[in-house]
Amino acid sequence: MKCRVAFAGNPNVGKTTLINAIAGANLKVGNWPGVTVEKKEADLVTKDMTLKLIDLPGTYSLSPYSIEEKIAREYLLEEKPDIVIDVVDSTNLQRNLYLTVQLMELEIPIVMALNIWDDFKEKGYRFDIEKFYELTGVRAIPTIATKGVGKEELLMMIQELCKTKEKPKMPKYSTVTEEFITRAMELIPSDFPYPKRWTAIKILEGEKDIIDKFPEPNRCMDLHEEFEKVFNDDAEGVIAEERYTYIASLIKQTLKSTEKRKKDLTDILDSIFLNRFLGIPIFIFMMYIVFKFTFDGSGPFIDWTDGFINGFIGKWTSAMLSGAPEWLQSLVIDGIIGGVGLVLTFVPLMFFLYFFLALLEESGYMARAAFVMDRAMRSIGLHGKSFIPLIIGFGCNVPSIYATRALENERDRKLTALLVPFMSCGARLPIYALFTAVFFKENQAGIVLLMYLIGIAVAIVVGLILKKTVFKGEVPPFVMELPPYRFPTGKMLWKSIASRTGAFVKKAGTVIAATMVLLWVVINIPYGAKPQDTILGKAAVAIAPVFKPAGFDDWRPVAALIPGTIAKEAVIGALGQVYDVQEEAEGEDKATTFNEDIKEQITGFFIAVKDSIRAMFTSIVPGVFEIETEKTPLQKKIKESFTPLSAFSYMVFCLLWIPCIVTLGAIYQEFGWKMVGGAIALTTITPYIVSTLIYQIGLLLGF
Amino acid sequence: MKLSELKVGEEAVVKAVVGENKTIKRKLRDMGIIKGEKIKVEKIAPLGDPIEITIKGYKLSLRKNEAQMIEVEGI
Repeated sequence: MKCRVAFAGNPNVGKTTLINAIAGANLKVGNWPGVTVEKKEADLVTKDMTLKLIDLPGTYSLSPYSIEEKIAREYLLEEKPDIVIDVVDSTNLQRNLYLTVQLMELEIPIVMALNIWDDFKEKGYRFDIEKFYELTGVRAIPTIATKGVGKEELLMMIQELCKTKEKPKMPKYSTVTEEFITRAMELIPSDFPYPKRWTAIKILEGEKDIIDKFPEPNRCMDLHEEFEKVFNDDAEGVIAEERYTYIASLIKQTLKSTEKRKKDLTDILDSIFLNRFLGIPIFIFMMYIVFKFTFDGSGPFIDWTDGFINGFIGKWTSAMLSGAPEWLQSLVIDGIIGGVGLVLTFVPLMFFLYFFLALLEESGYMARAAFVMDRAMRSIGLHGKSFIPLIIGFGCNVPSIYATRALENERDRKLTALLVPFMSCGARLPIYALFTAVFFKENQAGIVLLMYLIGIAVAIVVGLILKKTVFKGEVPPFVMELPPYRFPTGKMLWKSIASRTGAFVKKAGTVIAATMVLLWVVINIPYGAKPQDTILGKAAVAIAPVFKPAGFDDWRPVAALIPGTIAKEAVIGALGQVYDVQEEAEGEDKATTFNEDIKEQITGFFIAVKDSIRAMFTSIVPGVFEIETEKTPLQKKIKESFTPLSAFSYMVFCLLWIPCIVTLGAIYQEFGWKMVGGAIALTTITPYIVSTLIYQIGLLLGF
Repeated sequence: MKLSELKVGEEAVVKAVVGENKTIKRKLRDMGIIKGEKIKVEKIAPLGDPIEITIKGYKLSLRKNEAQMIEVEGI
């Protein structure tokens, strides 16, 4: 016997933790078709049946307004699961039952999980489960998802209900409303696919999507208008009131409280974290900690991964390929291993980032951060929570794109992701270092700082423009619950990190690796030719004149931009190549055996662990990526072909131009091709305009 | 009086949710802001907006724009 079980509930009630507790390790994470809201499913085989568990997105209601609500509603209406597990926060029953009542109206058998039962009891509440069943026909089971308490009982009840298919009783509303519901039911054709009473309520509410499916929509609209006239209020408000009135009567008969409400931990913490004077400094301090721990903590592991892939896997692969043609070796080592390796070096970074994001999210601080920062962010069309991805962007744009997941609204997510590339990441530093060393020696730090500020200023201006154009229209409301603070469990954090990091490796790895191979072709074909004769060189020669207004129409710096999309720091290596500067050979490889190398890699890993811990807890200043000073031959060439003004213009162009392939891969993974196109257009047009302005104004000012 | 006019620590009862924007109105209703409900303003964000209220025993934050849509009556 097969049984499909959908998990529904408000956000932050522990729904996902509960489904994890029941399903164990076999939870599959994907996206709902067509949207980037996470879809989690698991199959569970018990003695006499196969259960398919589906985790619906967390919603407060089944209105068809937000994406989450639409998904949940559509699934329940169209896919008709056999039963629904309604996970509620038992310490906040009044609001949570609002969704329960809507689920009851859908006539699907319901089991209610009274989650966070430990806090509930601690607060001195009692709940009459038998009475609740008598009134509603819904079985309730106390659970503590974080500790797995109640999961066996819940699983047993699920199996029982899969067999009996006992439907809940219908909520009763006021006499007048009930009369209207009866009248509305007469308008519904007998073969209408949705539950009758639910449909009748939709008629009264005047919901277009449903009414337009009827043969006589006008009669429905008439009834809807009559309903509003009788109550002298809008229909949706009336129905919401009816539901809450019904809930109030349920609560009165089932919930007992011994009234010992004292100032709880949440109140105390909020008086500090949301304080008028301390709120913002604390938020900035929190961001600093996240930033420092993420980049300092992951740094040694990134270096180790890089060494492992290029110095170990690359080395031994090339030893194996020693007989093959040189171009094939280059393709495998530089193109494929280099490309996949580049993606893998991000794994430690993502791991650390996801850990701290999960910590902020699960503890309840994320909602506070949004509360504190919303005013400032909204002025450029963003949401309070957008601040976090933008800050992360200064370290690296890649995790920053994934960090937009903290935003619930699709509009806010997209707008934030489009602005992230203007945050000057660590990989751009070497470019600044090279050019400032040549042209702005006395004022190196000042010019680098100026780059960061230009990035922020451009993000603000572009944000304002996008707000007034592409993202014109309704600003999503900021009606957000501030959940109580909770202590995140290790298990919860681990699940969150592992599933997200895994998804990053799988999807981003394929897209990015493929692009890297393509780029290898562009840069290296025909193999062995002089730089200007490769595909890249020829294209650069053709495009270069376009950049005349911005001050650099030499084909060589233009050509270097393309490899810069692999990773921004690659611009320097590429400049070295196109200017034909001989790089000094790096320290010669000692002849070592395979076993010695493995040993070295293992000890290297433990050193990385030690370094990581030391880096996180010792120095106060985060050490993002160090500025390397380049060798002089390249500096000389650059001095000859740039003026200080055109060098500045080129630096700004590198700052604002297409973020690296890995960032684009992340945008693709999170938002799809259309957004990648948008991001490319935005980060091509913007730097062109800004660099041109800088160069032309600079010329006028006599630089 | 509007919810946005209340000071920190003041309590009031919801009289009506008004305004043109149906989506936001619906959202406010769904979150429990309905006629006769008691609201207390708990905090105002450091930059003056949004505000935090208690309703139905939980904490909800909303922007001043949204608070302007909620008509209340002092108690």
